[in-house]
Amino acid sequence: MDSKLFGLAQTEWRWLIAIYLFLAGAGGGAHITGVAADFMGWTTVATIGICLGWPCVLIGCLCLLADLGTVQNAWRVARKPDTSWIARGTIIISIFMIVAFIHTILWAWPGTMAGGDATARHVVGVIGAVFAFGTMVYTGLLLGDAIPMPFWSTALLPILFFFSAASTGVMAVILAGVFAGVEESTLLTLARADIVLIVVEALVLAAYLHGSYRHPNTRMSAEHVLSGPAATMFWMGVVICGLLIPLVIDALGIHGTGAAIASILGLIGGLCLRYVVLAGGAMYPMSAAGTDFRPVRRPKDPMPAMGKLPPS
Amino acid sequence: MASYGMVIDLNRCYGCYACMLACKVANHTPPNVFWSRVLKGESGTFPNVVRQSLPVLCFHCEDPGCVKVCPTQATYIGDDGVVVIDKDKCVGCKYCLMGCPYGARYTVPEWKSYFPEGLPLSELEEFQKKAWEEKSGCGVATKCDFCTSRREEGKEPSCVVACPANARIFGDLDDPDSEVSIRIKTDKGFVLKPEQGTKPKVYYTPPR
Repeated sequence: MDSKLFGLAQTEWRWLIAIYLFLAGAGGGAHITGVAADFMGWTTVATIGICLGWPCVLIGCLCLLADLGTVQNAWRVARKPDTSWIARGTIIISIFMIVAFIHTILWAWPGTMAGGDATARHVVGVIGAVFAFGTMVYTGLLLGDAIPMPFWSTALLPILFFFSAASTGVMAVILAGVFAGVEESTLLTLARADIVLIVVEALVLAAYLHGSYRHPNTRMSAEHVLSGPAATMFWMGVVICGLLIPLVIDALGIHGTGAAIASILGLIGGLCLRYVVLAGGAMYPMSAAGTDFRPVRRPKDPMPAMGKLPPS
Repeated sequence: MASYGMVIDLNRCYGCYACMLACKVANHTPPNVFWSRVLKGESGTFPNVVRQSLPVLCFHCEDPGCVKVCPTQATYIGDDGVVVIDKDKCVGCKYCLMGCPYGARYTVPEWKSYFPEGLPLSELEEFQKKAWEEKSGCGVATKCDFCTSRREEGKEPSCVVACPANARIFGDLDDPDSEVSIRIKTDKGFVLKPEQGTKPKVYYTPPR
């Protein structure tokens, strides 16, 4: 890694965890969008949101399981909710998926979101929305509990992840809505809601990176993201694809294919955001007796031939 | 019960890496896994430059960042103050690797030899692979355990015994008459990253 974070940055949580964080957030956001749409009487959008939410989270969980070193023990992960955010998150996500699944098979899938007694559906919807909110926020809290990583232990991170999750959730619903033939006016209303979410997300992101840049312990992490090896993914992925293009498309009121493309780019941006935050997670060096101990990059292998097998 | 800790005398340590290698030999750690390692740092400006060595290992903290975040209770503080990992409970989520401010925890997804891949394993490597998989395991978190098997035989950890400068002292911090306790008091022992609140039990005494 050509970075000042060499030897200090964490290297264990990479794409699989980034995909999990992203899908958990977007799935929760899609679900809340669906529940809100249900209260507004937009039955197609509500169905889309409810049916999208928990499968996204489920796929994310499969990625998480794929990252584990010893999957056989995975049933144990809920054992320490008093101190571990992984344990708490497992409980929150499990309850969310169960409630959302119930919502789906009772009302969304059979197509009965429109008629019938709305009370039970609304109650289940609100419960699901509460746990969806928990799913969207807990990923940031989980990273924040890793005390040695000052880049992650800030209250701005769960807030940032929440708005990114909300925005990507709405965009996922818009994307599916374009293909499901939802009316233009409804999609435009969703797009206008997304504008607010994107603007808030951008402000929180700016505050987060600015704060990281100013504090000596996190400056290197901020530089890694803004101008270091993660810069391309940050500026192209998070800023341009994830924030700028969707914002412009939503503001101009473009619909149809344009909205679909903007949503896809927005979703990619959300994934990139999780990845760069993970990539920037680093400890600050240890110091003792007035000396800092920064890991040094090893010189390139002086005898590369040693690594090759003899010709057979 | 006891509360084991250590004192490392930075005035004596000259960075020979004997402790790091003794640990590797005793615990059969695969490549890139360093339960005990030595960091080097420089300070000062020419001509008053100091090069300091800093041996680090798992500090067996009293309020460990790793135990706090472990979701399965696989890692916990034993009765003797030694933080251990129950590899049968560990799920390999690597949250504890993120939770340790000192980089003391490692995970080995797959055992690797020090020699190029494709070569048949020597007898020693077969033994080391088996010993590693039995004691620590692949796909789980691993770290220094203050050489539990040696302590059961009444010996001190390998790194302590191997140090040619006698810079490492191991003992019971609960015992005010043990050498560790005395040295921490008389030589003004300090810990690393105290602001993280982990309360490490390995102290350093400053170079004079």
